[in-house]
Amino acid sequence: MAAGSHPPELEGTVSTFPLLSQDDFKSACRAFLDRVHRANVGWSSIRFQSAGSILKISQTLDSLQDQTLVQSVDNQDTQDSQLAAYEEDSEALIHTYDTHDTLQIDYDILLSPTYQVPALYFVLRRASMPLGIDEVYRYLVPEQYRENIQSVGIMGGISFGYHPVSGTPAFFVHPCNTADAMREIASGHRISPEAYLIIWLGLVGNCVRLQLPSELFATMGIPELEHIE
Amino acid sequence: MAMEHATLNAIQKIVWEGNLPLQITLASSESRTYDQTDPYLISYPRISYLPSLLPKLKAFFSSSLIDPAASPHDGWFSFEGVPLKWHYPVGLLYDLYAGADPATKSSDVDYSSDSPLPWQLVIHFTDWPNEELVRLDAKGMVMNDAFINSVKEADFVRNGTAKGIMSLSKDDSSGLWKAVQDVDLPSFQRIMNILLPQPNQPFRNLPIRLFLPLPPKPDSDSDSPTLKVVQSPIPPTITATQAASQTSQSILLSSSRILPGTGSPQTHQQHQTQTIGSALHSILPHLFPSRRTPVLAKPVLHGAVVPMSAPVEEVVRCSAYGDGWVYIVIRMMG
Repeated sequence: MAAGSHPPELEGTVSTFPLLSQDDFKSACRAFLDRVHRANVGWSSIRFQSAGSILKISQTLDSLQDQTLVQSVDNQDTQDSQLAAYEEDSEALIHTYDTHDTLQIDYDILLSPTYQVPALYFVLRRASMPLGIDEVYRYLVPEQYRENIQSVGIMGGISFGYHPVSGTPAFFVHPCNTADAMREIASGHRISPEAYLIIWLGLVGNCVRLQLPSELFATMGIPELEHIE
Repeated sequence: MAMEHATLNAIQKIVWEGNLPLQITLASSESRTYDQTDPYLISYPRISYLPSLLPKLKAFFSSSLIDPAASPHDGWFSFEGVPLKWHYPVGLLYDLYAGADPATKSSDVDYSSDSPLPWQLVIHFTDWPNEELVRLDAKGMVMNDAFINSVKEADFVRNGTAKGIMSLSKDDSSGLWKAVQDVDLPSFQRIMNILLPQPNQPFRNLPIRLFLPLPPKPDSDSDSPTLKVVQSPIPPTITATQAASQTSQSILLSSSRILPGTGSPQTHQQHQTQTIGSALHSILPHLFPSRRTPVLAKPVLHGAVVPMSAPVEEVVRCSAYGDGWVYIVIRMMG
């Protein structure tokens, strides 16, 4: 079915699937931010920067215990104390945990102008010092993904390059296979921009510890994929 | 009228033969003789990358270094205090930062004292600027990776898939990087011909990036000028309606290229060749109000002003850098 021939009531559909247009990307980010704010949980900070259209998510990680401080995907007992630490002021949180055991990760999600799919850039820091690829694999890449990711390309599926908007050094997950991966998962379905972004976060984010807290789906499920007849 | 294959080859040969005289000085804080160290002089290919010079520079300056334990891959370059991004070819860096007037047909090389030539760079082997430059490694893997990623992106823009570069044999894909490092045009052409669409096959989009030098950010503590890199899908041909529209936006072009044939119904529209002028006008309409004449700014490639009437596809075929991209520096007039 040609994308342009959708009836008007299906306007919330990604018509360029498996690619994503800049407009759909922005509307996906807005819908996702709404969801995060409604669920009242999340990362130490998440915001949409309109200059360059970047979804920015930060989180801290305890490198000794090797677990995230701000996330509580399935541990209800610790949730209250962690919620106290979220507060509104992300700066305060960063300073509270700014010790040598604490890692700060800043993720930037933006639309790749080349591949026309979302791309994930990130910087990992300990005590404000940027860390290298070895630490990225040690702290961020779950073991089950490690071998798979390292076998891709010259340096593996994660490269160190320049952030396309800020021009500063950042790691990135190669976006060149994203369109194929999205096609495998959701082809034959109508998919909203937000569902696209959530599926993409599930595919790419998990490889580098950007996990979606389950609270995000407590009141509102993942936007359903509707089969195209 | 399309240019003959032979003409394109001749232009490519000239591009690959383009050299820049460099005068490289050791950072005085790292030298035993402070600012009395002899500089290193070299005529260096414009399409080459600065880190390839590091082994020679380390050897040349090793007797002057306060810290002789530094490795060649600790080396980084700066121009007037600005760390230079090593993943850009040196010709592009020069066009971006040296402030030299682009060459015209009549201009001669001027070596007077206020001339930007030889280009004066400073080499450092300590205090890597982590917030600005990606670190290099001893085996050159980081550089190779950056090059191949860029080649892949250009391939994706040309074909809409990255299958071309994936299908290259291992020898050919490492051979491409070697050919660029060695400035070996015949080997480069042999491998590039596997990647490039045949002359009778259209490109999907054209790998072209525009560099806009901007004044330093007011809220930043550094005085270094900032850069904006602009990229937008540029198809090899445009329809007559797009060409006629005064505000033909890149977004319009991009959405019409993602899935050709969707959106507006297919009519028998006249297709026009995408020229440098029409591409600039569609991406930066305020800086390029005219498709034919540079009014406020001019496009600079390999040290020369590119004619507005040049078909972008031909420019890509004969004047792309080694990674397949055409990097155009936008310079304000006057």
